[in-house]
Amino acid sequence: MTTTTPLRTQLLRRKPVEKFGGSSSGLVRHIGTFQLMMFGVGATVGTGVFFVMHEAVPHGGPATVLAFLLAAVAAGLSALCYAEMASTVPVSGSTYSYAYATLGEVVAMGVAACLLLEYGVSTAAVAVGWSSYLNLFLDNTIGVSFPQALSAGPWDAHPGMINLPAVILVAACALLLIRGASESATVNAIMVVIKVGVLLMFVAIAFTGFDADNFADFAPHGAAGVTAAAGTIFFTFIGLDAVSTAGDEVKDPQRALPRAIIGALLIVTTIYILVAVAALGTQPWQAFEDPDQASAGLSKILQNVTGATWPGTVLAAGAVISIFSVTLVVMYGQTRILFAMGRDGMLPKSFARVHPVLRTPVTNTIVVACVVGLMAAFVPLDHLWDLVSIGTLVAFIAVALSVMVLRRSRPDAPRGFRVPLYPWLPLLSIATCAYILSGLSWVTYAWFVGWVAVVLAFYLLWGRRHSKLNAPVPDPVAAEGDAS
Amino acid sequence: MTILVAYLPERSGDAALHLGAELAVGLGTTLTVATVVPRPWPAPSMARVDGEFARWAQESADRTEQEVRTELARLAPDREVSFVRLAHPSTSTALLRAATRAETGPVDVLVLGSTTDSAEGRIVAGTTAARLLHTSPVPLALAPRGYTTADGLAPERLTCAYSGRHGAGDAVVRSAARLAGRLGVPLRVVTFAVRGRTMYPPEVGVTVEDEVLAALTEEAATALTRLVDSGVISPEVERTVVPGASWRDAVDQVSWADGDLLVVGSSPGSAVARVFLGSRASELIRNSPVPVVVTPD
Repeated sequence: MTTTTPLRTQLLRRKPVEKFGGSSSGLVRHIGTFQLMMFGVGATVGTGVFFVMHEAVPHGGPATVLAFLLAAVAAGLSALCYAEMASTVPVSGSTYSYAYATLGEVVAMGVAACLLLEYGVSTAAVAVGWSSYLNLFLDNTIGVSFPQALSAGPWDAHPGMINLPAVILVAACALLLIRGASESATVNAIMVVIKVGVLLMFVAIAFTGFDADNFADFAPHGAAGVTAAAGTIFFTFIGLDAVSTAGDEVKDPQRALPRAIIGALLIVTTIYILVAVAALGTQPWQAFEDPDQASAGLSKILQNVTGATWPGTVLAAGAVISIFSVTLVVMYGQTRILFAMGRDGMLPKSFARVHPVLRTPVTNTIVVACVVGLMAAFVPLDHLWDLVSIGTLVAFIAVALSVMVLRRSRPDAPRGFRVPLYPWLPLLSIATCAYILSGLSWVTYAWFVGWVAVVLAFYLLWGRRHSKLNAPVPDPVAAEGDAS
Repeated sequence: MTILVAYLPERSGDAALHLGAELAVGLGTTLTVATVVPRPWPAPSMARVDGEFARWAQESADRTEQEVRTELARLAPDREVSFVRLAHPSTSTALLRAATRAETGPVDVLVLGSTTDSAEGRIVAGTTAARLLHTSPVPLALAPRGYTTADGLAPERLTCAYSGRHGAGDAVVRSAARLAGRLGVPLRVVTFAVRGRTMYPPEVGVTVEDEVLAALTEEAATALTRLVDSGVISPEVERTVVPGASWRDAVDQVSWADGDLLVVGSSPGSAVARVFLGSRASELIRNSPVPVVVTPD
């Protein structure tokens, strides 16, 4: 077998990349800055903000608005680092692949652990949030909704047995993915319109109940509270890196990418801050802690402001439709990351096996659906979001590090996009992410460290022996005529 | 053994006749042309209007028979031709019954043409073909719109679309090999590896489906080798995996010549499974530039 390779070599080996300098497929560059910006807006805006206020405001008070700004800065800096990686390293665009190509195998596995949190856990979290909006929608329209025992897990604020709608959503998305369904660019555009439309409607209606007194006690827990809130809020900016992965197709990437990233960031942050200000203006910040706010928070705010149920119902309808598509996209991302790991030998081969008729990795999708479904069924929302944020923040730090390492090790590789103000920008990105990390609770850290430990243990015991980078067992027959 | 051609005069034209003649010449069988006539009501109508309708139906069937015989005399001069009139309100049921009951001997292949909405040279399965696609007990041959064959010519090569699936897929290849043997033509086995569509927003990059395609292509190549090893096909049979960005792209990458036929297997019979798994047969039929023979699984 391969026990002849020393441990240090195994841990630090990097995946060879055919050719640095972006994709060699010769794609004709045709996307302009504006399209790319809309791409970024579409990939980022929406889901998290439907759920996040209940979690974040008790930490930050009305100063949660500042938390959005902090999270936006961190996300923007990371997206710029991501853009340089995407334009240099021609592997399919997940942080795992970049880390493998630049930082080595063991770091790649650590990053993979983070990505499993960023994609897998967030799928579960989104499904749980979706089920609350679905219940509200059903209740307001047909008067029937899932009973409490079937709408929440055992450790929720209002405990139940199992969160059935969330499980159904995960199962439905899994079926669609197995079947090979995908969301086209057009459908994605429609989803963005629905999300933004519904959020703007929220802003317009909530502002009618605006009371400036609710901002009086602006930062009840000070800067620490704002940082903690930023940690919870951070996941709402996930998706900005999708702009970076389209770097191959954009005209003049050196100018277009930063403009698109920053433009998208500005648009998304403005929407979020409008929503936050509007929401915070309707009720004192302590009211956000109410367990009633935990489910379908934005709809409940609308109902309180107008006294009528129809605005909340419309918002819930928009949320249900658009979040369904987000769940599909994120679960898809999760399966493809596991697929890439299977191809590299970091996971059993069955994760990389494609069903001949369905042409999708079926085993992979089923495993993801089961794990995510279990999480969605039983784990409460607040625990899930913090895990997603910590995973994402660590992954973003890894990207910034990769940029610096790559500049050192391959300074003359052609780069479609170079991060401006090097090395300050990646360093600032790391600093901001670390600062936000500092606001997360020790429980989250404990789970995170435990999870990474499990993944790394799996790697050390199994992955490094099955990695595709292991020296192939020399074949005595072939070695005769071999000119190596 | 006979080739049963469904000749529906206004709808599919002569394409089915040409394909049927070609197959009959190749297989050396007789040719039966079936046309579906409206079935008169058993009870006599007032003022005998039904009688006039029945007579019109009879005359139009006679005319059709005359045209068909003239045409076939030219296309398949030494093949025995018989003409059958099926009376049934449903065309597909009538053809199904004819294929199973076989008044003129067991049916080898049932031949249908395309609807008039299809583009020239392409197959669009009309309602009849769509229904027969999954329920026909005998192989179903579909002729592209406007298909013609030179007089007395037989098929020249068979291409079998192999899904890569053990079991069901192998059965199709076996049928294709048998058919190729009977026709005395070379067989080629092709697996079409079609890329999945890019998911938007592409959170893991726009090229991730390329990797899935690469894995699919590798597995398909292994499956083709396994076909040879298990003796389903002999080693000289040409085998390729054709990757493509879409079904149309993959099919276009294969070189097609006159006299080519494409053999595909039909999808599972259960309607639920079909909806869930999708129909490769439908995709191939829609995109094939040559006539398609659908073998029942």
